[in-house]
Amino acid sequence: MAFDIFLLEVILSGLMTGVMYALVALGFVLIFKASGIFNFAQGVMALFAALALYDFLAEDGWFFAVFGFTLPVWLAIPATIVVMIVLAWVIERTVLRFLVKQNEIILFMATIGLAFVLEGLGDLLFGSDVKPLDIGIPQGASDWLLDSFNLYIEQLEIFAAGTAAVLVAILAIFFQRTRIGRALRAVADDHQAALSVGVSLDKIWVIVWSVSGIVALVAGIMWGSKSGVQFSLSLIALKALPVLILGGFTSVPGAIVGGLIIGVGEKLAEVYIGPIVGGAIENWFAYMLALVFLLFRPQGLFGERIIERV
Amino acid sequence: MFYRESGQLKSSYVADQAMFPIAQDRWFVFGVLALAFLVAPFFINEYWANAILLPFLVYALAALGLNILTGYCGQVSLGTGAFMAVGAYASFKLVGFFPEVNFLIVLALSGVVTAAVGMIFGLPSLRIKGFYLAVATLAAQFFLIWVFNKVGWFYDYNLTGMITVRPIDFFGVRITGPEATPAAKYLFTLTVVCILALSAKNIVRGRIGREWMAIRDMDIAAELIGIRPLRAKLSAFAVSSFYIGVAGALYFSIYLGAVEPVEAFDINQSFYVLFIIIIGGLGSVLGVFLGSAFIVLIPILLKNIMVGGMGFDSGMAGHVEILLMGMLIIFFLIVEPHGLARLWQIAKEKLRLWPFPH
Amino acid sequence: MTNEQTNETLLEVDAISLSFGGVHALVDVSFDIRKGEVRSIIGPNGAGKSSMLNVINGFYHPQEGTITYQGQARKRMRPHDAAAGGIARTFQNIALFKGMSTLDNIMTGRNTHMSKSLFWQALRIGPAQREEIEHREFVEHVIDFLEIQSIRKTPVGRLPYGLQKRVELGRALAAEPSLLLLDEPMAGMNLEEKEDMSRFILETNDEFGTTIALIEHDMGVVMDISDRVVVLDYGRKIAEGTPEEVRTNQSVIDAYLGVSHD
Ligand SMILES: Nc1ncnc2c1ncn2[C@@H]1O[C@H](COP(=O)(O)OP(=O)(O)O)[C@@H](O)[C@H]1O
Ligand SMILES: [Mg+2]
Repeated sequence: MAFDIFLLEVILSGLMTGVMYALVALGFVLIFKASGIFNFAQGVMALFAALALYDFLAEDGWFFAVFGFTLPVWLAIPATIVVMIVLAWVIERTVLRFLVKQNEIILFMATIGLAFVLEGLGDLLFGSDVKPLDIGIPQGASDWLLDSFNLYIEQLEIFAAGTAAVLVAILAIFFQRTRIGRALRAVADDHQAALSVGVSLDKIWVIVWSVSGIVALVAGIMWGSKSGVQFSLSLIALKALPVLILGGFTSVPGAIVGGLIIGVGEKLAEVYIGPIVGGAIENWFAYMLALVFLLFRPQGLFGERIIERV
Repeated sequence: MFYRESGQLKSSYVADQAMFPIAQDRWFVFGVLALAFLVAPFFINEYWANAILLPFLVYALAALGLNILTGYCGQVSLGTGAFMAVGAYASFKLVGFFPEVNFLIVLALSGVVTAAVGMIFGLPSLRIKGFYLAVATLAAQFFLIWVFNKVGWFYDYNLTGMITVRPIDFFGVRITGPEATPAAKYLFTLTVVCILALSAKNIVRGRIGREWMAIRDMDIAAELIGIRPLRAKLSAFAVSSFYIGVAGALYFSIYLGAVEPVEAFDINQSFYVLFIIIIGGLGSVLGVFLGSAFIVLIPILLKNIMVGGMGFDSGMAGHVEILLMGMLIIFFLIVEPHGLARLWQIAKEKLRLWPFPH
Repeated sequence: MTNEQTNETLLEVDAISLSFGGVHALVDVSFDIRKGEVRSIIGPNGAGKSSMLNVINGFYHPQEGTITYQGQARKRMRPHDAAAGGIARTFQNIALFKGMSTLDNIMTGRNTHMSKSLFWQALRIGPAQREEIEHREFVEHVIDFLEIQSIRKTPVGRLPYGLQKRVELGRALAAEPSLLLLDEPMAGMNLEEKEDMSRFILETNDEFGTTIALIEHDMGVVMDISDRVVVLDYGRKIAEGTPEEVRTNQSVIDAYLGVSHD
């Protein structure tokens, strides 16, 4: 019995980490679907968003230095959203529009450049030290689960899972019900079709980058509340890549399921295989899993198989 | 144009296919080589060797390897750091096993070992493309570094987990460790890099180079005209990894002398080398030298200007460096994907027409 | 129309069916190509013509049927085997290697004839050098034949459309194919360019005796240069015969009067 509880805890904590990965992967998928760009900077965007949010909240930030007061959480979050939208606009203006016709490898490398720009900018503006982010998300173990089931689960993680679910629901509604959302879906299938809906391509890009900026903010808040806002966040976000391999690059459910599989898989591996081979296999397990997966199902769990034509 | 009529002499094709068909280019290259081999060794000191020339050469070589894979064959890799580590550890173990063997042979074998490892991680490239492949190479990056960190055999069960180069003589001249003179280290590295650069230039101009470029430009068409994609890609992985492996061996044995895997070969190394080829020029041998010089010199310049000149702290200079690198990458990809090499060529053409612009 | 053609069959397509999911691109198609002839495949857009060429050179694998090429029957073949067996082709949408020069593109078409190892190529002396020169000479003949001497060193991405099509033909010719598959080589060309291209195709057929399978929409051209024609519609063969026979065939007329379906 004790063993089962332990296993359950490992799986649950893996699921929670998986939710975090899924959040970053979700941002990737949104951009990839709408523009075919594989946004390597997604992780750094989460970092950047968290840094901006911290800045509005803390007394050692620019905002306080300029205006002499800090924002309450309920204002700081919309303010950060505005920052992310502006960022999306700037990226579209300075980078994307010049690379429209380039091949995907060039675009991919450009987003690596973008990741460095955002990282450098974040460091310059906000400093590179670890910043504690506290927006009032409950911390510590959930007493109720501990008492009733003897399960140790972080409240933060439960909160994160809930938020992710809500976010996915909102996105689903956005894509299904709104005019812009439908245009975005159209653009994923066919650029011409999107134009006929009457939304211009650059506008769509700004919107989609804004939306994934907001998703990045959510990811940044969760990661930041858990382990502080720091650069390693953007490295952890690299884990979203194997998640995408599993889930397929264009599938929202894929991003979620892939995230959960990777999260659970690497926790289980760490706990059960790790001790045998010397530990720390969490660093590479996800990538190896993805690699093996690639050999057998290159289109991902939910991606369609495409027969190329000439 | 060189040819207008048909039915030319064989010898004209030889001349046409020469590495530097234009006389001025040839003289320029000879001049640079003469300077590098005959003049520089007399003026080199510790600072020049360690801060500029050795990293310049080693990174140029690693970038040459990556450029073969990415610039010529169109496959992105984020595993360069780890492949350099393979070369470094291979040379460390080989020198341990066979201390008497000539170091050039050790280098070549380190390259071969790395080529083999590179091919294993290149296998998925048959089925996956572009950034999918980047994920496969990330697996190499994180897995290999973990192996070198965890498996004691690789670092001879040293308690620090570091590897330190053994004293190595090359035809009686010490080329590694603190006793080696900067000139000896520099000349040895320079020779290796020149030979390999020359070979690379030859390969990319021949059948195999064309196969790589065909795969890069349009893989389906390449397959349909008879190129075997797997063979072409794996050969690119092998040759690329060979170069990167030799670069890693030089990086460890001659440039640094002692390394610890997590820091010396982390993913930032992979990015660093990738940036060299983007800035220097994708698909250009000359470009890796220009890019490497650029990327080695920029931080030094920034430091001198910002820390020395304007009194910022060095952390600030580091952040500006990251920001600047990112901006340069984007700039080059937008404005000139063929990088400094192309700018150099344009400048040359302008110069040839000078002072008459048309 | 050539004199060298024989009645010997070079390629036989037998009961080929190919579908993608629910789309039946080819349904039970059979025909043959004789050595030395110019065989045209015509039909409305989406009829399955390109798919047919893709089946012949091993890019698509049909669910049913066999292909017999040079007396060897096969169900499935990989593109590079087809290329090695002497099947070369051009593409409906230009598929040149954009970053390479005209010369390098055509040299690449010759790759199947080259074999010197990496080692020799790295040194580029002796065998590798000789091989390179030898094939360069052949490629220069192709360049002369197609009258593209002046764009030898130009990156093909910068060439106008018509010339790109010509370079693509050059790349295919460099392989010295026994069977040349041309997928709409004159699409989007003006009259003069079409005439040039027709001339090159006929001369290839005449001088080198290359067997040609040609997809073309311009009926004038098809009537002019083909020996026999096969007509596809909705993936099925609806007619076959000499240009004259096909032109007067009622079902062909119907198919062309109906709207095209892509
Ligand atoms: N790779 C593919 N995947 C899916 N459908 C395809 C593919 N290739 C061809 N088709 C379909 O097969 C049919 C025939 O296409 P094609 O051979 O290109 O026609 P044609 O060349 O005669 O215009 C079309 O309906 C096309 O959409
Ligand atoms: Mg077609």
